[in-house]
Amino acid sequence: MAIFNLKKREIDCKIVYYGPGRCGKTTNLEYIYKAFKKQVSGEMVSIKTEGDRTLFFDFLPIGLGKLKGCDVRVQLYTVPGQVQYKSTRKLVLKGVDGVVFVADSLKIRYEKNILSLKDLQQNLKDYDLSIFKIPLVMQYNKRDLAEKNIPLMSIEKMERDLNQQLKVPFFEASAITGQGVGACLKKCLMLTLQSLHKQLKWG
Amino acid sequence: MDIKTQLKSLLQEAEIYRSQGLLDESKNRYNDAVELIQKNAQIKNKQNLLENIQKKINLVNNILSNIGKASTSPQLSSQVQNVIKNKFSFSDDQDSASLEGAIALAKFGQFESALKEFNELVKKKSVQIIAAKNIIRCYNALNLIDEAVVQYEKWLSSGLFPSEHLEKIRFFLENILERKGNKKILPHAPNVKESQDSIGNESYDSRFEDEEFLDISSITISLDKGPLKGKLVEFDVSFQSANIISVIIPEKDKKLIENLVIGATLNNIQFYSPIAIFKGNGVISAKTRIQSGPKKGNYRMDIKVVST
Ligand SMILES: Nc1nc2c(ncn2[C@@H]2O[C@H](COP(=O)(O)OP(=O)(O)OP(=O)(O)O)[C@@H](O)[C@H]2O)c(=O)[nH]1
Ligand SMILES: [Mg+2]
Repeated sequence: MAIFNLKKREIDCKIVYYGPGRCGKTTNLEYIYKAFKKQVSGEMVSIKTEGDRTLFFDFLPIGLGKLKGCDVRVQLYTVPGQVQYKSTRKLVLKGVDGVVFVADSLKIRYEKNILSLKDLQQNLKDYDLSIFKIPLVMQYNKRDLAEKNIPLMSIEKMERDLNQQLKVPFFEASAITGQGVGACLKKCLMLTLQSLHKQLKWG
Repeated sequence: MDIKTQLKSLLQEAEIYRSQGLLDESKNRYNDAVELIQKNAQIKNKQNLLENIQKKINLVNNILSNIGKASTSPQLSSQVQNVIKNKFSFSDDQDSASLEGAIALAKFGQFESALKEFNELVKKKSVQIIAAKNIIRCYNALNLIDEAVVQYEKWLSSGLFPSEHLEKIRFFLENILERKGNKKILPHAPNVKESQDSIGNESYDSRFEDEEFLDISSITISLDKGPLKGKLVEFDVSFQSANIISVIIPEKDKKLIENLVIGATLNNIQFYSPIAIFKGNGVISAKTRIQSGPKKGNYRMDIKVVST
């Protein structure tokens, strides 16, 4: 849950990048760190293990400036996607205000996307949050690989597999080139702030 | 697609998957390529090709084995530890927040730093039991359980803890020792008799789990059946092991003792822990009359927490 300091008129909220191992969550944050220098308000922290896989989390603080008279600060996190780190994912998810679900467009990762989305749903539920209610956007990542003739799923298929019931906004993206990354984050921020606005009755 | 193009695209896929760290997938594609080569008579230079692919497969296997060997709790820089401490504590209350931060450090495998934090927190009454238990957990995780025993003995004479806190800590530590096959009997806190040894044969779970950290200190039950219907009763929790909590019902509360029968479901239990108050349901899993010691004649009731 976001921290809202009425006196100082500050709001601190948390967005988590979720998704299967190797889908590009860390690459998203790395791109944001480089491309949105002005908004970045501190160092990016990455805790990795062998093979550049996230072990615990990545953390990147950004500031959005004043919104409705309030200083808005956002903490971006990624979870470790590898299946065995379930309890770490849950820990990182604690206090989440909005989620970007990064799905891997590679055909071979079809099942992993679905499993990860279910894992997200369960972990949210353990915190009494519903995947249907939390501010959520979908990112279909690695679209650039189509040019290299690597088998990708069509957007229609990914929408059917992952978003048929959720019906949340989705973005085609390439975290490597940055295509879609900013738009996706902005949408998630917008939804999150709208929802906080309602919950905290701020503004 | 002719064989050559097929082979080329298999190898290209394998390369990209490898570069993305999708190692099993990469291996699968290399193996598909091997199969394709072996099945086709018209491919020239077969042996050479196969050898090259085998080299790549070996490379992938190497990466896989390094990943398998990597440490899952590396020592983190102090900058990162500070992020963990600050960002993984959510309470408004200063001590509870520090406690959460220290627990997060332990969960992320930073036992030494967590120990430092917990050692400060045992000085704060409101969180000292949880802090002490976590010190024991840290030593256990570091494979230094003897240190925990030494620490407990120091606490005994430190004057830092009230006796009933020391008893809870002793019970917790003895359980961990027991699970390790160590039957050591620890000295009791002053002014407490050996009475409670029969209490709680449940084994303690010493993992750094979320649930485990919610040490419940007291509960209130609202009775919704029987002659005491509508009454609210409060109990201090004498022991907790995972999802089973034990409370003592005084001998004189005859009606209450009759009312609370084994197997009964208790809806609407309010649980109080130093960091949160929450509601849940439980089932009475045991109720026994205490046979000896200062609590003789009172009843011990175990409640299994079924949902919160
Ligand atoms: N071509 C391409 N590669 C990408 C893209 N996004 C990520 N990658 C690559 O995919 C691999 C995994 O990316 P990460 O960002 O580390 O993935 P992650 O989701 O953080 O993985 P875990 O930390 O293990 O959960 C890296 O080699 C990235 O360079 C993309 O959009 N296009
Ligand atoms: Mg990562």
